[in-house]
Amino acid sequence: MGMSVNLPGDEFSMPGLAYLKSVYSVVLLVVVWEVVAQLGLVYYAFLPPFSDVLVRLVSLSLSGELVFHAFVTLRRAFAGLLLAIAVGTLVGLLMGRSRSARWFFEPLVNFGYPIPKISLIPVFILWFGIGDLAKVLLVATDCVFPIVVNTYRGAESVDEKLVWSAEMMGSSRRRRFRRVILPAALPDVLTGIQIALPISLIVTFVFEMISGGVGLGSLEIQGVREFEPTIVFATLIAIMVIGLVLDRALRVLRGRLLGWE
Amino acid sequence: MAAGDAIRSTRPGGRLGRVTAALVQWLPLGIVAVLWEALSRFLVGGDLLPPVSQVVVNATDLLLQGEVLGHLSVSLFRVAIGLSASIVGGVLLGIGMAQFRAVEDFFDVLLTMTYAVPKTALVPLAILWLGVGTGTAVLVIFLGTLVPIVVNTYNGASSVDEKLRWSAEMLGTSDRRRLRKVVLPATYPAIFTGVQQAIPFSFIVLISAEMVASRRGMGNLILSYGQLGNYDQMFAVIFLFSLVAFATVGVFNRLRSSVLAWE
Amino acid sequence: MDVETSLDAGTVDVDDLTMTFDSGDDGTTAIEDLSLDVESGEFVSIVGASGCGKSTLLYLIAGFLTPTEGTIRVDGDPVLGSGPDRGVVFQEYALFPWRTVLENVTYGLEEQGVPKDERREQAMRYIRMMGLEGAEDLYPKELSGGMKQRVALARTLVIDPKILLMDEPFGALDQPLRESLQDHLLDIWREVEKTVIFVTHQVEEAAYLSERVIVLGGSPGTVLDEIEVDIDRTKDRSDVVTADAYNETRRRIRDTMHAEADY
Repeated sequence: MGMSVNLPGDEFSMPGLAYLKSVYSVVLLVVVWEVVAQLGLVYYAFLPPFSDVLVRLVSLSLSGELVFHAFVTLRRAFAGLLLAIAVGTLVGLLMGRSRSARWFFEPLVNFGYPIPKISLIPVFILWFGIGDLAKVLLVATDCVFPIVVNTYRGAESVDEKLVWSAEMMGSSRRRRFRRVILPAALPDVLTGIQIALPISLIVTFVFEMISGGVGLGSLEIQGVREFEPTIVFATLIAIMVIGLVLDRALRVLRGRLLGWE
Repeated sequence: MAAGDAIRSTRPGGRLGRVTAALVQWLPLGIVAVLWEALSRFLVGGDLLPPVSQVVVNATDLLLQGEVLGHLSVSLFRVAIGLSASIVGGVLLGIGMAQFRAVEDFFDVLLTMTYAVPKTALVPLAILWLGVGTGTAVLVIFLGTLVPIVVNTYNGASSVDEKLRWSAEMLGTSDRRRLRKVVLPATYPAIFTGVQQAIPFSFIVLISAEMVASRRGMGNLILSYGQLGNYDQMFAVIFLFSLVAFATVGVFNRLRSSVLAWE
Repeated sequence: MDVETSLDAGTVDVDDLTMTFDSGDDGTTAIEDLSLDVESGEFVSIVGASGCGKSTLLYLIAGFLTPTEGTIRVDGDPVLGSGPDRGVVFQEYALFPWRTVLENVTYGLEEQGVPKDERREQAMRYIRMMGLEGAEDLYPKELSGGMKQRVALARTLVIDPKILLMDEPFGALDQPLRESLQDHLLDIWREVEKTVIFVTHQVEEAAYLSERVIVLGGSPGTVLDEIEVDIDRTKDRSDVVTADAYNETRRRIRDTMHAEADY
């Protein structure tokens, strides 16, 4: 750690070699896990040996099942996220630059934010069935809030002097918006997306666990229902890897887009 | 025309002015409520979306009947336990990591991995370990809220102004007392921030756990009503729970200014 | 006295200017009944203590703010909003962080529809003039304060404004750097022959740079004094600061400001 922190999870993005030094705790844990399980010190249902989990992970991967379920889940999560980005950045930008927009949306956002949108799962099932649509829409509903809040913050806190400079150099209101407000707000917009990404996955997983069908969430709960703990652990590991990869990808994207930051 | 125009504000004075201002501020919610009412009465069937008025009436009924309070207290109990455990554990871990390199090295990657897992994915695992019920809910809440608290505490503890610590050292405070008297109080704001972030998250995880693996609690109640087709009650319970969540977050945010009055 | 108004350097006429923010019982009047004139090609400083309204005055002339009362005319035409005829340099540089040095300087030219190659050529001319050749592809975050201010100056000069408005442009820099930039600014001024209105709270700076110093003060702010400074600025700095005119001016500004402060 010890890096200057700006974003959620910034503390966790150490450069490569430093990473290795701390991996020993994980290795230790895995070794203890394996030993404890193999010695029969715990119920199989509680903690199957790591090796068994690995075997299951490999078989799921080879059979293509894992990829299939992952694809379904990610498709739902991303669709919802993209929808939230489209709506959220628009609302956030409006709120940031228009007083009436801010007046209208602010209480709505303030009221909606603390409510756990996950409690709306049965409502969305009622309205949209148990297919993809309900999931995508709920993801969008939950993700839109952090995106709106952060976009609003970014649009509203643009240094006035930058806008004045552009005006002085001849930019009309519309051009000022496109050439100054948007780029200046971009860092905060990306922050909002970085916060929304894990939310999209969280919501998708729960929905899948409840409504069944396909997807990583369904797969995992299937492992519980069928008394196959290795499936649960294997899926969990896959989920963790996906989470890490996505987070890292978003960071790299941020670095590319905001090299000037 | 000119950017940065001077803002002419007309502020009616006195209490009437304040009430008016408050009304204006919350008017959009009123507009939404009216739209909702109209939508459900004239466009969509009352089954799909009960009118606001009906939801409120049902909610009040449920409260008066009392059964829902039982579920509510179960849910709140679970949040309280899970959150308390993660605050204690999280603060200890966060400060430990900030103060001792060895601790940091050990837990760093583990926390990274935990951070990468969307916490609801831990529900099936918790079911494996603790079955259906309160244990699972508490465990998932604990694990889910641990990370924001650790992270915020760590940041707070590691950025305690050097000069503060030097002053304490100069004034003769020993290492351990320095921890208690300087580092800890200076970290309170960060810890509080961590808790503020954790609370809404705990509700999310609570509902998830209760919908998947519980026979009691608000989450389970909502799901059951939905599955039984009892939509009126379902909306009413969701409404109640939303109020509770909103109130809890609001109370806590307001608490900040009194607990950390010196900030 | 010039009968012809140079097209390149504008005149400024301020008449009975009053600026009040937030009308109503708790409005603040920053400036009241302020009048001044600036001739074509003149270098005028506006000095005053912090909060005396000098920046407000500058922003009014620039067109960012609209006066409550009074008129501002540039070359006889009333000021309506801001534009490239009145270039502004801010104390905080206000460079676009997502644009390189070159891109910052070409911003105004892009607005004017100048084709790409010509833009680059014109921009590089001013970048060279500022001694920043080689840095044109750097981002503002990679620049020192002095470099950033020079970029801001280049950016404003390249659009060929009639008047250059500068709001304490060297305030954030340390003394040696400030002095070298002051000399640089004088060289540039002699070369481009623009009208310059230079706001500062530093008495020495005003006396060193300008042909005329306008002292602002009071609450609300108004013109306390106008001083003609007759120094041969082609000489070295060490010669200028020992000249009688320079020290007389300094003393006079100080006295005016102190007289206003003690009551």
